[in-house]
Amino acid sequence: MSDGSRKEPAMDAKRFAALAAAYGGDLRRWPQADRMAGTNFAASETGAAILGHAGKLDALLDSYDVKAPGAALYGGILRTADRHLVQRRRKRFWWLGLGLAGIGLAGAVAGLALVSVVTPEIQPDHYVLDANATAFGDAGPDGETVEEDL
Amino acid sequence: MSADPDEELVRQVGAGDPAAVRTLVARKLPRILALASRMLGDAAEAEDVAQETFVRIWRHASGWRRGNARFDSWIHRVTLNLCYDRLRRRREWVTDEVPDVVDPAPLPDAREEPHLIEQALQAIAPRQREAIILVYYQEMSNIEAAATLEISVDALESLLSRGRRALQAILARDGVHE
Repeated sequence: MSDGSRKEPAMDAKRFAALAAAYGGDLRRWPQADRMAGTNFAASETGAAILGHAGKLDALLDSYDVKAPGAALYGGILRTADRHLVQRRRKRFWWLGLGLAGIGLAGAVAGLALVSVVTPEIQPDHYVLDANATAFGDAGPDGETVEEDL
Repeated sequence: MSADPDEELVRQVGAGDPAAVRTLVARKLPRILALASRMLGDAAEAEDVAQETFVRIWRHASGWRRGNARFDSWIHRVTLNLCYDRLRRRREWVTDEVPDVVDPAPLPDAREEPHLIEQALQAIAPRQREAIILVYYQEMSNIEAAATLEISVDALESLLSRGRRALQAILARDGVHE
C-alpha cells in the first residue's frame, strides 16, 4: 500500500482522476498524503463516478490469481539452502584452520627470532672432541697470530 | 528510514540458522513466485526464477547490509532482473523488439476472465506490467515500488497510468471491460 508522496496540491477532480488512473479505485493503494483529501473528494458525485470506473479494472485484476508454491518447490529451495550453508560452513572452517596455522607459524618464527636476539651466545668453556675431529683443528689461528706478531 | 522487518531474519540466515532459512522461505517464496508468475505468465519459468532468486539470497545473506533498499525491495529487484533475462531470451527467439503499443490483434481464444487478464498483462510493455504488479499485486507503497524500479514516484505514476490504460484498451477490445 502506498505510504507516502510528495507535497501535494489541494485535491480537485483533475488530481483525483489522475490518482485513480494510476493507483485504481481502492484508496488504500493511494499515496498516504493523498488519502485523506481523496476520501473527502470521493464523497462527491464526480469522485464516486471516477472511483467506480477505476474499480471495474481493479475487479478484473482481482480475478487473476496465481498458484501458491507447491511442496516440491519448497523442498527444492530448502535443499539448495542446505548445500550453500554447508559449503559456506566448510569454507569458514577451512579459512579458520588456515588462519590458525598461519598464526601458529608466525608465532613460532617470532619466538625463534626473539630467542636468538635475547639469549646470549653460549660459549663452550671446553672443547669436546668427537670421533671425527682432530687435535690439529685449533692450531691454525694460533699459528697465524704468531706469524702476525712476528 | 524505517526499520527493515526482515533484517534480523536475514542476519540469522547468514549465520546458517536452519530455522531462519525455513522462515524466510515461507515468508518470501509466495511473494517471489507470484511476482515471477505474473511477470512471465509461465508457471514453470516462474518456479525456476524463484529457485534462482533464493540461490542468490543464500549467497548474499551473510554479507547483506541494508543500504538504500529494504531486503524485500532487494529480492524483488533480483527477481525482476531474472525475469527480464528470460523475457530478453524469449525476445531473441521470437522477434527483435517488444512492442510498447498494444497489439491490435484479438487475444487467443480464452473466454475465462482470469486468463484474459493474464494475457492482457503479458501484452502490455514490461515496465508498465512491472509497476502494476508491484503496486497492485505485491501491495508495495508507491515509494517502495519506485525504489525497487529505481525511478521517481512521478515516473511510477506515469507507468501505472499508461499500463492501466493499455489494459483497459485490451480488455475493452475483448469485450471484458467497458
